[in-house]
Amino acid sequence: MIHAGIYKDVMAQAFHALRDNKLRTVLSILGIAIGISAVMIVGAITKGINDYIYKELNTYGLKSVWIYRDWDNDDPNRVIRQGSGIDNDDYNIITSHKCCPAIKRATAVVYSRENIMPVRAGNHFFNASIEGVDVDYTEINNDQLKAGRNFRKDDIVRRKTVAIISPKAAKNLYGSANPIGKTFRFSNKKFQIIGLLAEKNRDLLNQIGADSYDVNGRILIPYTSYQTYFGVKDIHTVQAEAYELERTEEALQQLNAMLQRTHNYKYKYKQESMQGWMDTADQVLASISLVGLLGAGISLLIGGMNIMNIMSTTVVERTREIGIRKALGAQNSDILFQFLMEAITVSAIGGIIGLSMGIVITYLVAWFSGFPLSPSWLMAFIAVAVSVVVGLISGFYPAHRAARLKPVEALRYG
Amino acid sequence: MIELQDVSKAYYLGQTPVPVLKQISLHIQKGEFVAIMGSSGSGKSTLLNIIGCLDTVDSGRYSLSGTAVSDVPEKSLAILRNRYLGFIFQSFNLIPRISAERNVELPMIYAGVDPDVRKNRMLAALDIVGLKDRAQHTSADLSGGQQQRVAIARAIVNDPDIIIADEPTGALDSRNSQEVMRLFQQLNASGKTIVMVTHEDDIARYAHRVLIVDDGSIVNL
Repeated sequence: MIHAGIYKDVMAQAFHALRDNKLRTVLSILGIAIGISAVMIVGAITKGINDYIYKELNTYGLKSVWIYRDWDNDDPNRVIRQGSGIDNDDYNIITSHKCCPAIKRATAVVYSRENIMPVRAGNHFFNASIEGVDVDYTEINNDQLKAGRNFRKDDIVRRKTVAIISPKAAKNLYGSANPIGKTFRFSNKKFQIIGLLAEKNRDLLNQIGADSYDVNGRILIPYTSYQTYFGVKDIHTVQAEAYELERTEEALQQLNAMLQRTHNYKYKYKQESMQGWMDTADQVLASISLVGLLGAGISLLIGGMNIMNIMSTTVVERTREIGIRKALGAQNSDILFQFLMEAITVSAIGGIIGLSMGIVITYLVAWFSGFPLSPSWLMAFIAVAVSVVVGLISGFYPAHRAARLKPVEALRYG
Repeated sequence: MIELQDVSKAYYLGQTPVPVLKQISLHIQKGEFVAIMGSSGSGKSTLLNIIGCLDTVDSGRYSLSGTAVSDVPEKSLAILRNRYLGFIFQSFNLIPRISAERNVELPMIYAGVDPDVRKNRMLAALDIVGLKDRAQHTSADLSGGQQQRVAIARAIVNDPDIIIADEPTGALDSRNSQEVMRLFQQLNASGKTIVMVTHEDDIARYAHRVLIVDDGSIVNL
């Protein structure tokens, strides 16, 4: 049994003992502090990179899946079998929820063979990625509208010549003027702008070559208008959003099964989801964390050994005190508790200093690198918990030795 | 109150047992004031440690206030020390760094006494030894005589039946020695049993009974 009243006494003792042994206490505290701050910084950097990558991946919609004809397969009839393998009837089945229960909503994506095509507004030209899409396209892709409005069902059904353009296109065609209500020409057809998209950031993905497509050079028009005015019958890609992240594979299987059925197994389809990208990102992040935490772990190990060392010295130096306490009625558990608490106090002080250092360094790194980093409070909690556990483990052996001292022998010491 | 029956104790020098106490039998009544004397190495300190439950017997029986101490496991002796015994040492043995009041509080902390009660009892004990106004001082700021008086306050704060004193005046001048002995007499008068080791005749004279230990046995005078 440990006597609760001992706690205040123990804390006072701990601080006295630490004050009396400044240098070695400072060294142990430093060891723990460096380890803990390393944990914090690794945590913040990993979280920062994680947030950054996921923010970019989210520009596609994490729950998005894509299905389109696999033009690369070894189908001997590839040339004979014309078309994209997805027509408006298929698409209507999907959007009317007559198939594919894993799918929440979908958008058709119609585009031309040449990815980029010139559009003109007055004397200004811009090479745009023109895409024919449905109403839900912007929401599925997490596109924000900076101005104007999204497509309405009416725009799609009545094949209106309206467009939503991205900021880069707007700037090139109209300079700094408000593009809403303005017109541009595309292949001699005049379109009126109803919405302006917000900028999207895919720098990292573009840099690592994961995406060569200029997301800020898009011009969106109703897919029905695309089909009508540019002689396209089919839908090139169906992008759909699964109800949940875990159901993207299911959604793709349902889409594929439906398309195979309606086209008598004539085509092969490529199926894509964000899962692969997320797996890659998670692996990269795990490696970064592992390396960082390994370093932090070594630092904590050294800190823990330091604490064990000073606690062992302290127990020897205070042998007589232990004897006195035992004579006064301290039980083994009281002595064990006292020295454990001292070890934990040293370690926890190190932990709190490390925590503060970690937070300061995280903000400094964020400030100098311009990379958005913020301390993770979960990591902070773990860091302090770890420092207490380190104190507990490294204090246990010396404390146990102190607790087992025989009172007569301890009193005779010194 | 204190009853030893054929108690023996030996220390080991390597494999060789060196007998320290040889079949000692002893009876001390409640309220007695007993002095134990003897030359160094006679075994008087070992005898005192056994009576004080700081050491264990090899053979024989020891009972304290009806408790068969020789049957109690070593780690449970702490409870007996805490409840029935108060210790006073030659070198005072106050815990350095902490104040007089914290020192006096310790036995109560180990007894699990409530903080409010602790404060009152601590002040009362310091009042008895006349050091109520020095409660905040640490041993570095107290004279030898004052330190020993704080130790006495600490020894009596849990209201033990027995005071165990190992050369309580060994490190004090004669004026302080007399002061300590005056306190002992006062405690004895209030009903405490006192067992004290000393090598000074004029200190032993304060006791009602003097036991001489020689070569591990009690010599009958």
